[in-house]
Formats: sequence, structure tokens, C-alpha cells
Amino acid sequence: MVEVRVEEVSKAYGKVAALKGVSQRFASGAMTAILGPSGCGKTTLLRCIAGFLAVDLGRIRFGVDDVTELPPQQRGTAMVFQNYALWPHMTIFENVAYGLRLQKVASDEIHRCVLRVLELVEIGSLSDVETRRPGALSGGQQQRVALARALVVQPKVLLMDEPLSNLDAKVRQRLRAELRRLQKQVGITAIYVTHDQEEALALADTVVLMNQGQIVQTGTPQDIYLKPSTAFAAEFLGVSNQIDGEAEAGRLRIAGQRVPYAGSERGPVTVIFRASDVQIEAAPGTERAETISVCGELEESLFLGAHYRHYVRLPGAVVMADSADPKPMGAVRIHVPLEKVHPYHA
Amino acid sequence: MKLSVRLACLIVALPPLAIVLWLFFLPFLSSAHLSLLREGQWSLRNYWLVWRLYRYDILYSLWIALFSLAVVLGIAIFLCGYLRIHANRPVEFLFKIPLFIPFVVVGHAMRVLLAPRGTLNAVLSQIGLVSMSDPPSIAFGWIGIAVSLIWKNLALAVLLVLGAYRSVDETFLEAARNFGASAFRQIKDILLPMSRASLAVASAFMFTSMLASFSVPLMIGSGEPPQMVMIDVFYRINYQQDYGTANALGVVSYLLAMAVAGYYLRTITKRT
Amino acid sequence: MPASGMMRPTLRMAGFVVAALIIFGPLSSLVIWSFAEKWYWPHLFPQQLGFLYWAKVFQGDMLRALQDGLVIAVVVTALTLVITVPLAYVLARMPIPLKPVILMVFLLPQAFPQLPVFVNSMTLLYRVNLGGKLGGVILIHMVGALVFAVWTMTAVFKSVPETLEEAAINLGASRLKTFWSVSLPLATPGIVASTLLVFLYSLDEFTGTLLVGSPFVLTLPVYMYRTSVGYELQVASVSALLLMVPGIVLLVMLERYMKSEYLSMFGRI
Repeated sequence: MVEVRVEEVSKAYGKVAALKGVSQRFASGAMTAILGPSGCGKTTLLRCIAGFLAVDLGRIRFGVDDVTELPPQQRGTAMVFQNYALWPHMTIFENVAYGLRLQKVASDEIHRCVLRVLELVEIGSLSDVETRRPGALSGGQQQRVALARALVVQPKVLLMDEPLSNLDAKVRQRLRAELRRLQKQVGITAIYVTHDQEEALALADTVVLMNQGQIVQTGTPQDIYLKPSTAFAAEFLGVSNQIDGEAEAGRLRIAGQRVPYAGSERGPVTVIFRASDVQIEAAPGTERAETISVCGELEESLFLGAHYRHYVRLPGAVVMADSADPKPMGAVRIHVPLEKVHPYHA
Repeated sequence: MKLSVRLACLIVALPPLAIVLWLFFLPFLSSAHLSLLREGQWSLRNYWLVWRLYRYDILYSLWIALFSLAVVLGIAIFLCGYLRIHANRPVEFLFKIPLFIPFVVVGHAMRVLLAPRGTLNAVLSQIGLVSMSDPPSIAFGWIGIAVSLIWKNLALAVLLVLGAYRSVDETFLEAARNFGASAFRQIKDILLPMSRASLAVASAFMFTSMLASFSVPLMIGSGEPPQMVMIDVFYRINYQQDYGTANALGVVSYLLAMAVAGYYLRTITKRT
Repeated sequence: MPASGMMRPTLRMAGFVVAALIIFGPLSSLVIWSFAEKWYWPHLFPQQLGFLYWAKVFQGDMLRALQDGLVIAVVVTALTLVITVPLAYVLARMPIPLKPVILMVFLLPQAFPQLPVFVNSMTLLYRVNLGGKLGGVILIHMVGALVFAVWTMTAVFKSVPETLEEAAINLGASRLKTFWSVSLPLATPGIVASTLLVFLYSLDEFTGTLLVGSPFVLTLPVYMYRTSVGYELQVASVSALLLMVPGIVLLVMLERYMKSEYLSMFGRI
């Protein structure tokens, strides 16, 4: 168990800066998810930690050791790849045993370790792992083998690069739960890169949100979801509505309405709230306290299975609202409780 | 397909097919036919002559082709491994050059370089490595032929093996590097086994082309036995007008090539 | 890797020097020989350098060989291109019967030793009075050239996305119209690469030319062979250098303007 510290790390590909002075602590024995859109630098950061990429500036430390200059194999990390990267010409057993063989571990010891770790990842029947090749396994099973291959060398840090992205939704959800159980059971420091916000929230103890080579926000999944600190964070975490407003001392002007406002933003702001927090009432309706209440026109409704999504045209904006039951088209009034509304500096 | 389209396809396919069938397939078959004729009579005498006169030349050719292939593969496997793991564009470009240099030029260049009074011996004698009065001859012997074939085929081998290595996804190597696999282990454990099929195909092609090499041994060979088989065929025609024995030798070379082609076909059918 | 940051450039430099020695070593003696007017063993460098043999070479037989070789290569390239492009398209797109057999036929001249076969091709060509004539040499060159052309161009047409053609057909274009307006323009870079390879093949062809053409039709490789075994080393070296020029030009062009796949297709055949 070791804490990973990244200090002021920068990395550029030619003229494109992939990481711009990133600093972050990855707590020992915890699962940290690095979340962000593609091209945000999350995979670059992971590969810098693994040692596959040399950093341009900054240090990387594992506990008290500075590993910045060390090649990958001397860092004590193990990596799990999106495409599994299981060697197709080796049997399942040989794949898992490879790391131990390179360390020149005795063969009966290898045998014991490999079978134990394969059992740990619940690969199922162990009888034919010495004859079957990974190509014969399903994607989910292959990723279990890849995980076993990473864990068998008892790495200090487990690195995972979108390990579940190639799997279909059902397998992904089951493996997600198992990954979490396994990581807690082994107690290893784990860093998990993903672009899927739901996956990050479900898996991690800490979520690190990245955008354009920088860390935007760090916090527990609950924090990140409930209190996104920027417009980007809010939008990336699935907050569906964004409308322009104007903040002044004690007042927020939004969609032609003035509502009380206690925050510190001033001037033009982007106001953000979730579609699920919007209520729809047939017009004319009544204004409510501590609520944005505006009249508009319900233009379109889509049935999405679990709920309906409505598109309501307001003066100067279209707002999405979710409800469990269908609503009639035409004039409506929407309500958004003020506590659910987040204004950010535009 | 409509009849008109069928007809169009046929018309389009005919001229090139006709050329190859007329000037390659037909002569190929007539090789077999002529090899069984002696003074207008069916006879196995041509093959008997081949056995009596040329059996060592056949072994000699096989030896040169196998030796050159082994050296080419040995170099290409590790050179390409290095080029795959640490990209080195200038070196890669250099090794492509022989691909575009004709065999006759290679033969002549090696002749000038490796002859007893060639450039190599001149250089070595300056630093006292060879004696001027009795310079060793590398050209005009099997080593000269092998060196020329290796030099020329190395380019093809680098192209093919590097292509195969490049199609191995980087993550397979990273996974190994992650466990501390050295460059040598990455080549031996990952790149080589994962490119085995392409390597087999490349080897088959290179082996046939070396066995059938003509211009190189013609220019750098000694003119005395042992000779490569293609030289024997040429001399048999040119100096003795003995088409029967020449074609019998030809058929033997086809059989050797066919054994290799069979191996090639088995590899590609296994792959798909 | 970060640990060996200092070592790497030195190693790379050393690797480059070794590679350059291996590649240019054998070729360098050609250059020296081509300028050597007097060179007595065992001197490291010629006693007298000059352009004497370069001047000598550009007259008489050599010039004729160069000329004939170019005429042959141009005709071979043009004919091969004209008959291969439609066939390659058919092989890449149409569900014609016996397709694997046809492709294998175009592999034969590469899969078997050429010399013993060409010995009999020579007899056939003499029988129709094409032996020792430009026409016969052109035909024997086309046998080998077709192998390159058919395989590379079929691969080129296969690499054109079929959906782009289907989109045109969907809008009412005929097969022929689609070929002219969609497939051919998209395949052009590959066809150009393949054409250049065919041109180079014909320019460098030796075995067939020697058998079918000699002694009446002379191309540069055959001329060079004769001078080399006749110990006219300077003349042979000048011809050898001239023979290398088109290949090097082509290599640089391919490296610069064309995708590397064309090169690997060339190798695979």
C-alpha cells in the first residue's frame, strides 16, 4: 500500500500540451477514478504514472520514493488495458505467470500463485487454464484474466485504463461491482481512468475530474455529483439545463424573472440545473416561494422508458424537464427549486 | 450477374490471363514434357543425367538458400525488433534501399568489393589484416553469393517483418514491459510468436527467390563446379543446347519450390 | 525511457553509422570505380581520377542499351496499366467464378523459378518470330510485371470503401460511370505507385531479356552484365550507377508522397 503523489506534472506532444502542471494525491489503499472527456489528458496522466511516458516537468512519487526517472518495471505498477492486451499465443496460465517467470520465481511457486489469483478473480473452472488460450474466452472473462495477470506480481499500484469500456452494458455493471470488492479485499492503491461518469461514481472512493490537461475538481462521488464546482463539471456530470442569467447583490435575473440570490457571483452567469429537478404544471399555474417559476410552451415530449423528457420553450431558452407521466402540449409553467440551481461565472 | 456484365468481365480478364498462360504456364508445362524426352523418345535419361552431374549442385543451391535465409531471418528478427521498440526512421530508410537496387547491380558491386583484388581486401590490407601477396577471395565462391543474396533480401525481410511487428498492438508490448521484460524478451516472447504466420510466408518467398537466383551467381560465381542450379540450366542451354537435361533440372527446381509453396498455402489457409 | 536519456543519442548514432556502412559499403566501390582512370592493386584509392569512362559510356552500345531499355519499359508499363486496371477492378469487386484460381495464376511467375520456364518461353517466342525482337522482350517483361500490377492494384481497389461506390449506384449511376467517377479517382494514388513499380521492374529485368532478347536486343542490365564479366570494370560501374538512379528516385518518392502500404504490397508479392 502506497500513496501516489503527482507534483506539477506537465507533458506535451509536440506543441499540444496534454498535461498542464497537474498535482494530485492518490490515497493509499483507495480507488481513485480519473474522469474526463476524451482528450482531457487522463490517459496521459495514467501512462506517466506507469512510466510508459516520460514527463516534461514535475515529479511523481510513490510514498517517499521519487519514481520520475524510473523505467516502468522498477516502479511496481501493474496495468490493465482497455483491450485486455492478453497475449493471444500464450495460454491463460502462461499469460498470468509471465510476470512471475520474468522474476525467476520457482515454478511450483508460480503454479500456486497463479491458481490462487485466478480463483480470486473468479475465472470459473480452473481445470483447463493451462491449455486454453484467451481468445476462447468472453470479453468479461478476458478482463478477469488480465486483472489476475496484473495482481499476481503484487504491485504497489494498480493502474486501469478504461478496463470495462469494451464490454457490453450488462457485463460492465457486474464487473464494476466485482472490481470494487476485489480492490477492497486486496487493499491495493488503484487508479482508474474512465470517461463514463456513472462508472466513476459507482466505483471510486475519490473522483478526479479532468478537462483540457488540468484537474477541475476532486472529491467524493457524492460531492462531485451534488456540488459540481464549475459549469464544465456540472455539464459533464449530466446536468442537462444551462441558461444564461445575470447575478447582482442579492438578486439573480433569469428567464425574465428575479429570484433571491445569496452567492458571490456577479455579472453574467450560466445557471445550471438538472432536468429531473424541473416540475411542470399546466398554465397559468401559480408562483411558488424559493423557486424559479416561469411560463413557457411545451413543444415536444419524448418517452425514454423510465420517464418522459419534455422540451419547454422559455423566452430565450429551451429547458428540459423530466416527469414520470405524460403532459399535454401547449402553455405550461415550470418550477425549479432555488436550492437545485447553480449559477457559475459565465 | 447479367450476361453482358459476365461477358465484360471475361473480356477484361482475357488479355492478361492469356499472356501469363501462354508465356509462363504453357512453358512451365512443356518443361515437364521436354524433360521426359530424349532424342524424340520418352526417357528418364535426362533425370539420370541430372542425378549424375548435378546432385551436388542441387545440394549446393539448397545450402546457399538455407544459409542465406537463416542469416537474413536472424538479422531481421532482431533488427526489426529494435526498430519496432525504439523507432529509428533513418536506419529503417537505409535498409529499404537494397529493395530498389537491381540484382545485377548487387552482383557487380559485390564482385568489385569482394574479389581477391577488390575494395574490401584493399582496405583490409591497409590495416594489415590481409596479406597483399595472397589476398583471400570471398567473391567467386558460395560466401560471395550468400553475402549478395543476404544483402539484397535483408531489405525485403526488414520490410515484411517490420510490417508484421507493427501490426502487433503497442499494449501487448507495454503489458510485457510493465513486468520488466527487456527488449530481447519482448522480441522473443511477444513480437516473434505473434508474427509467426507472416514470418513463415516471408521465408517461403525469400527461400524460393534465393534458390532461383540467377543474375547474382552468374556475376559472382566462379564459373566452375559447384554451381547454383540456375547457372547449370543456363549453361546447359547456352553451351550445349541440351534442352532435355536443362528442363529436367528445371522440374527439380519447381518441385523444391512447390514444397515451399505448399508450406505457404498451409500457413495462409490456417490463418484464415 | 527516462533512465537512459544520455546513452540513447550515442547508440542511435552508432546504429546509423553501422547501417550506413552495411548499405553504402558495397555501393561505394562502384562510385570509386566509375571515376578510376588508373587504379593498381593494392592502392586504397585510384592513381588517377576523371570522367573518362563516364564520357566513354555515353556513346555507342551503352546509349543504345539505355534507349532500348527505356522504350521497352515505357511500352511495358503502358500496356500493363491498360490491361490490369479493369481486371483488378473486376477481381476486387465482382463476384466472378474461379477468382482464387485467377489470382493464383498471377502468382505463378513469382512462386516458381523463372529461368527454366523462360527457356521454354523463348522457344515459343522464336516460333512466332518474336525472339530477339523488342516485341518479344516486351511480352516476357509483361509476364513478371503483371504479377506486381494485378496484386497491388487489386489491393488498391479493395481499399476503396465499397459504400462510396454503392452511394453512386444508389443515385442511379451505372457500374461503368461509378468506376470512372468514383473508384478510379480514389484509386489513383495506388495505381500511380503500382505503375512506378512496374516501370522499375521492366527497367531492371535481366533473366527474360538475356534469354529472349540477346544478342539482338540489349537493355542496360544485360549490357552491364556483359561489361562486368568482360572485366570492363569502369564501364560496368558507370552503368550500375545509372541503373540505380531510377530505383533511388522511386524510393524517395514513395517515402515522401505515398503510403507505406504500397511498399509492403510490393514486398508481399
